[in-house]
Amino acid sequence: MAEMLKVGLILMLVTLVAAMALGLVNSRTAPIIAIQKELAKQKAMTEVSASLSPGDSLAFDSLSVAGLENPYASCDNTLSVVRISVPPDTSRIGYVFIAYGKGYSSTVQTMVAVELDGSISNTTILYQQETPGLGANIVIPSKLIEKFYGLTASEFLLTKDGGGIDAMTGCTITSRTVTNSIRNGLEVMSEAGLFSSVEDSADDTSEPAAEGGTE
Amino acid sequence: MSLIKDLTKGIYHENPVFKLVLGMCPFLAVTTSVENALGMGAAATFVLICSNFLVSLFRNIIPSKVRIPCYIVIIATFVTLVDMVMNAYLPDLHRSLGIFIPLIVVNCIILGRAEGFANRNPVLNSIADAIGMGIGFTLAMVVLASFRELLGNGTWLNFNILGSAYQNQPLLIAILAPGAFILLSFILGFSNILEQRKGGRQ
Repeated sequence: MAEMLKVGLILMLVTLVAAMALGLVNSRTAPIIAIQKELAKQKAMTEVSASLSPGDSLAFDSLSVAGLENPYASCDNTLSVVRISVPPDTSRIGYVFIAYGKGYSSTVQTMVAVELDGSISNTTILYQQETPGLGANIVIPSKLIEKFYGLTASEFLLTKDGGGIDAMTGCTITSRTVTNSIRNGLEVMSEAGLFSSVEDSADDTSEPAAEGGTE
Repeated sequence: MSLIKDLTKGIYHENPVFKLVLGMCPFLAVTTSVENALGMGAAATFVLICSNFLVSLFRNIIPSKVRIPCYIVIIATFVTLVDMVMNAYLPDLHRSLGIFIPLIVVNCIILGRAEGFANRNPVLNSIADAIGMGIGFTLAMVVLASFRELLGNGTWLNFNILGSAYQNQPLLIAILAPGAFILLSFILGFSNILEQRKGGRQ
């Protein structure tokens, strides 16, 4: 009995020390991690939207669009749609949004820069934990996401699903989730009336952003 | 037992993957490219050294009845601490190694070495053992990853070796999960043949 008590106490001591160490380090690092995440998001936003109007410093205003909120509670990234303009001119030149999709082994978050006519200008993968060497190759632009540039919502389908985008070999699930999540985002934004000229210019190739910028 | 012997035995004679067949989960999962193999190897070696050090240090305090739960707590705590500190202060490194960190917890080489070596050997020998096992694990992963990356993607450490013509139609199965098992069985078989020949000569 006395021995069991001693063994139990030692085990408790070990877990107590471990829990205290974890709590202490977490309280120190959690705020720094949050800042790093925010910085990374800002940096990604600046980089992805640079294609809309190269060389200009851009202004970002958050818009809230119903239906685009992050559907997965496990992700803490809550940016919905951001309107881009070139100060001091406040007219919008495009949007940035994050598309969330359930991939093979993670929720893939893709940041997308969209022209005013609803065509894709640039994309970057914000977060993924797909299979290394396979689905994780989604972060290499030439594998898949470069094929998105200039496309509009109706063209966003994999070849296997009846569209014209070739999936990454061996990674249909990852390719499909990224493609479908972006299409879904574009459709929601289109329904919300964000793409002013989507009706008249859907069939023609995407125009340079600066020209489309006046309303 | 000399320190040198503890250091070198993990590299070949007691190689954790090819001889002890430990750590198969991360071994099969991340050997899709040489870069991943090196990243996982470095991260696992680091945790292995730290956990062997701590387990060896406390080996006379921890009662043998609860040693396994204690080791698990020590290893899991350590991995989580590394994850948090890296995430806060080295975000770029964390981004490239991030996927490996949770996998280290399930790496039974670490628990295996705590139980099989560190809990009955002095601190310095345990650290030597951890370094040797870490190198052995990394080398084994690089061997399998080299085959898988070369056959499945035509590259080695991201350098294009077999040309873009091959890359358009690679032997994709090598990089997929079945390829890992097939190639691993070839490597284990080859290593057994070597062992048998050596045994026959004695």
